[in-house]
Amino acid sequence: MAQSLLKSMFAGGYSKLFTSPANRRIPSPTPHQFQFQLRINAFSTSSNSSRDFLSLSDELLMDQCEMNTFKASGPGGQHRNKRESAVRLKHSPTGIIAQAVEDRSQHKNRASALARLRTLLALKVRDAIDLDGYTPPLELLQILPAKSTIRGSDVGSQIGPNNPKFALGMKALLDLIYAVNGSVSEAAKLLGLSTGALSRLILSDDSLRMEVNELRASKGMKPLK
Amino acid sequence: MTLCFTRTIHSLPFKHPRLSLSNPSKRPISSFLPHSSSQSPPLLHPISPKPHLPLFLRPPTSSATFSDLQKFHSWAKGLAFSVGSKFLDSDNGPDTDLLCREIKWLLEDAVEHTSILPHLGSSQNPNLTGSELIRLKLDLDDLYSLWNQRIEERRPFQYIVGCEHWRDFVLCVEEGVLIPRPETELIVDMVEEVVSKEKGLRNGLWADLGTGSGAIGIGIGRILEEGGRVIATDVSEVAVSVATFNVQRYGLQDKVQVRQGSWFEPIEDVMGKLAGLVSNPPYIPRDQIPRLQAEVGKHEPRLALDGGDHGMDDLLHLCEGSSIALGSGGFFAFETNGDEQSELLADIMTSKSENRFRDVKIKTDMAGIHRFVTGFRR
Ligand SMILES: C[S@@+](CC[C@H](N)C(=O)[O-])C[C@H]1O[C@@H](n2cnc3c(N)ncnc32)[C@H](O)[C@@H]1O
Repeated sequence: MAQSLLKSMFAGGYSKLFTSPANRRIPSPTPHQFQFQLRINAFSTSSNSSRDFLSLSDELLMDQCEMNTFKASGPGGQHRNKRESAVRLKHSPTGIIAQAVEDRSQHKNRASALARLRTLLALKVRDAIDLDGYTPPLELLQILPAKSTIRGSDVGSQIGPNNPKFALGMKALLDLIYAVNGSVSEAAKLLGLSTGALSRLILSDDSLRMEVNELRASKGMKPLK
Repeated sequence: MTLCFTRTIHSLPFKHPRLSLSNPSKRPISSFLPHSSSQSPPLLHPISPKPHLPLFLRPPTSSATFSDLQKFHSWAKGLAFSVGSKFLDSDNGPDTDLLCREIKWLLEDAVEHTSILPHLGSSQNPNLTGSELIRLKLDLDDLYSLWNQRIEERRPFQYIVGCEHWRDFVLCVEEGVLIPRPETELIVDMVEEVVSKEKGLRNGLWADLGTGSGAIGIGIGRILEEGGRVIATDVSEVAVSVATFNVQRYGLQDKVQVRQGSWFEPIEDVMGKLAGLVSNPPYIPRDQIPRLQAEVGKHEPRLALDGGDHGMDDLLHLCEGSSIALGSGGFFAFETNGDEQSELLADIMTSKSENRFRDVKIKTDMAGIHRFVTGFRR
């Protein structure tokens, strides 16, 4: 599901988003420009990072969104019996759009669209990180397998892709992988994992894998399989 | 989002007889709690017809092989594809896309374990031979005839499965009861907003007049605090029995009491005491009824739709009665046919009601139609 959504997003002309102090959407059509953006971003002190968005409660995140239901024209109300409970959320600060149609109730579709928005925010909005003296944030430690040498026993059991908290960890992991220009082995070192173990983690989630491979492709690296 | 209207209008076209409220029985409100009083509420419907059990609540007494279910699935899709945009073009009915989604929802309600459903559409399933028995909540033959009714008779999908998903509820519905609409969900949101601000509304007495399946009444019952109560009324026997069933299914029988009768008649005992009054009364102008979408016009109860010549007979009656029914500071919200009706109603309630209401506002639905009129009794 996430996969097809991403595809349609790209078909619709979406490009990578960076948070900037002005919270503007900065398109980056070519890999070259892409790197440039990243460098610029590395020096910007982002007051409203994607981490901030992701740690918002559902209500507050919803407040940042424009909600549309795809109602066709017509009088509606008692005149109409159509289970068109589709929900489309547009996150105003980033312009990211998430939608859900498959459920009968608008309530559930709203919840699915919001969950999807969280994933998209994690995947599409990058924050620059400082590699000097890098220590992974807790949410990243939580998605690492127990064998990571930097993961203390107090971190708790590993959080998998089905857990809503996975998005935050995935976001931190992507920030790191972008900072090391797509090198899984370098990222693995910083996370106390073997390259193989980190690859397996990346491959365990389709959207994470696609995101990493897209970056690697832009650097002329081979995709992870 | 909200508009205030202060324009004056001419005459009040009240069609209903003046309210006669001369005999308030003064029955204490607490008597509507099923167990708290020996007095049984006289207006509670005595022998309700038993509502039909919706498909999703039925036990899985039947079964079919996986490949037979696959055959049904592709037959049903075939019918959906044969519709194309025919219904859409003729009366804004469902198109193939929506019908295909309905097939999925129908099967979700019909099978015991929904995990097999994603495999129905794909041709090769390494783990499925086709001979597996799938437990069903109805006979395969009935599944065929239900989908046939959906397409051939335009029988509403919600009557076929016997339920509608509304807010975070699944409400049982059947022929004779209006299928609650998504727009109406907003009434509950508006109530939620006002009760969050005022405690007096949170634990007060509310009325949902013309409750149909019980949707709004149940939504409000969930929001109110300890002590808050809802009386949900309808003149229709089927509606009363379906609403009662839904109230009980959500365990709200101590909070929401269902009564039968016409508009204010079953709440005579609480006139002047209401903290809130909400209604989505019939509001379709009579001459538009023959042109409604087939699912609505041919299958939903006319009693729930027909609002008289201009569609405002019941709204005007409710607007007039609410000034007597609401206590001071009480909140009201009415759903209308949209723009003109809302404007007319808001006008009446601001400038033609001897200053009995305040903060009269028009609120829009998701499609931007001025759908609701809300306000407070002074
Ligand atoms: C449009 S439906 C609304 C049902 C439900 N409140 C909803 O929103 O789904 C209008 C309801 O008003 C009821 N009704 C019609 N005339 C009535 C009357 N005179 N007194 C009480 N209810 C009436 C109908 O039976 C129907 O259930």
